[in-house]
Amino acid sequence: MKKILIVLIVLGFVVTGCAQRKIATPETKQPSAATQETQKKEGAEAKAPEKITEQKLSQVESKELVTGRYAEEEGAFKDVHFDYDKYDIKDVDKPTLKSIAELLLKNKFIKLLIEGHCDERGTNEYNLALGDRRAKAVRDYLHSLGVQSAKMDIISYGEEKPLCTEKTEVCWQKNRRAHFVVLKETGK
Amino acid sequence: MSKKFNVQRLTFKVFFFIFLLLTAYSLLLTVVEAKVYIDINSPAFKKIPIAIQEFSGTSRKEIPDIISDDLEFTGLFVLIDRAAHLEKPSQPFNPRNWTPIGAEVAVKGSVKEDKDYTVTISVFDVFEGKEILKKEYKADKELVRPLAHNIANDIYTLLTGQSGIFRSKIAFVADDKSGKGVYIMDWDGNRSTHLGLKGNAILSPRWSRDGTKLIYSTERGRQWGIYLLDFKSMTEKRVFSSKGTNMAGDFLSDGNGFIFSSSKDGAPDLYTMNLKNNQISRLTSSYGIDVSPAVSPDGSTIAFVSDRGGAPQIYIMRRDGSDVRRITFEGSYNTSPSWSPKGDRIVFAGRRGTNQIFTIKPDGTGLTQLTTQGNNEDPSFSPDGRYITFSSDRNGVKCIYIMRANGESQKRITPKKLRAFGPRWSPN
Repeated sequence: MKKILIVLIVLGFVVTGCAQRKIATPETKQPSAATQETQKKEGAEAKAPEKITEQKLSQVESKELVTGRYAEEEGAFKDVHFDYDKYDIKDVDKPTLKSIAELLLKNKFIKLLIEGHCDERGTNEYNLALGDRRAKAVRDYLHSLGVQSAKMDIISYGEEKPLCTEKTEVCWQKNRRAHFVVLKETGK
Repeated sequence: MSKKFNVQRLTFKVFFFIFLLLTAYSLLLTVVEAKVYIDINSPAFKKIPIAIQEFSGTSRKEIPDIISDDLEFTGLFVLIDRAAHLEKPSQPFNPRNWTPIGAEVAVKGSVKEDKDYTVTISVFDVFEGKEILKKEYKADKELVRPLAHNIANDIYTLLTGQSGIFRSKIAFVADDKSGKGVYIMDWDGNRSTHLGLKGNAILSPRWSRDGTKLIYSTERGRQWGIYLLDFKSMTEKRVFSSKGTNMAGDFLSDGNGFIFSSSKDGAPDLYTMNLKNNQISRLTSSYGIDVSPAVSPDGSTIAFVSDRGGAPQIYIMRRDGSDVRRITFEGSYNTSPSWSPKGDRIVFAGRRGTNQIFTIKPDGTGLTQLTTQGNNEDPSFSPDGRYITFSSDRNGVKCIYIMRANGESQKRITPKKLRAFGPRWSPN
């Protein structure tokens, strides 16, 4: 019996403990009431006014990276295209890639920059990753045709540089592309 | 038996006593709580009818107009039309002028203009017929908007017991003639400033938790780098760059590092970088795409986008990369997660024909669609979790919008012709 009594008393304490904690939470609101009081007093005593300030945002100039080691040449090769949200190479584009591989294998002094692009329907960051996968799929395919990885660079532009800006499937299809830039070594 | 009976009686007494105590205590609290005019967390709150008068003195309308716009957007107040006011701004407060037009709170003020503005405001409780706040402010003339927002914050705190967000900012990216740049504006779209940061392409900037830094990714010279802008020194520093695609995700909760997505080792995976020792740790290594990591407010969980299941979906995992769980199962394209400040909801863009804004609980329940018109992307919460900013092309050009967290009051805040995207609400 004593045990039951002790258990009940302990239980009683636990309940009060919990309950008090529960109803104590609104106390966090009390400071707001308290601040009201102090604000009222402040007003009454005509305290010094609150000075409103703000940090001035001065301009920051971005230092652009200068490349210039290569002269860029576009338009030598056709773009290759991809299905929506996909990064596999289509059979129809394989002849184009073969001719690119042949040129790179023949000519020692040129490199290839592969740009990955997407249509506008996705969101910027995911599209940038998708463009990365597209450029890499092309790079890997060219690698399988014997082109050294060192002769190829990739960059993704996601949806940032559309060729076509209408909201039609024809247009979106044009934008889902890998674009080729031939880099010719300058100077040196 | 009798002992047992006694025990029961004793327990009854104890419980009765506790009950009495609780009743007394909660009554006491009700009295204290009555000072808060709206309990904004109660689902059945009643909007407060508030009258904000033209101020007396110079620039009489500008400041009270800004205060009115701020309070009206919250959805917690009914602004009483100035044409209905019976009391002139120059007359002293008399509750009898306000009760007939239904005002419960009246705000009066005066502006003195010399080389600065000096503004005095008084807030009155109409029922009790007394002044509940009187305060004086001083500001440079060019800071008239921050001044008015500051007053709105004080009135908001007085009436709701919560802090206002009217001096918060939104960072975003916009295209002008000279290329893409990072901008900062007030939360209501005013005072937009180009920070001078440029790139051929720039992604949505992210704020540090103390609001003193921005981290963003930009392509310069055919390479994607992650850059840090420090507002204290107004300097930009490149913190990470490599071949492949590098995208800033979010600051870690301790502020000493950040999480990002990089394809430096193959597929786009998630990494963290310590800004003190430049150490990089890898968190994911999937065959597919892992992007857009967002750290929960308590720092314990990361929400991100992955196409490991075949299409982009939102996943969460622990801070160390363990315990990965998918939380979105409706729709085949869900991206751009961002946490509410309490960590109880994640807002994201989901594709349902067009891109729309949704919220979901971190356990994957409670999916709620908030937008329906046009394409809506890049959502993030305000510091108090009551509003969401996002980009939308519903009127043609992509612009920045704000809305209440339940989808009400969707409003464009950047100019119609400026292509703007990637908004992020400042943390304070």
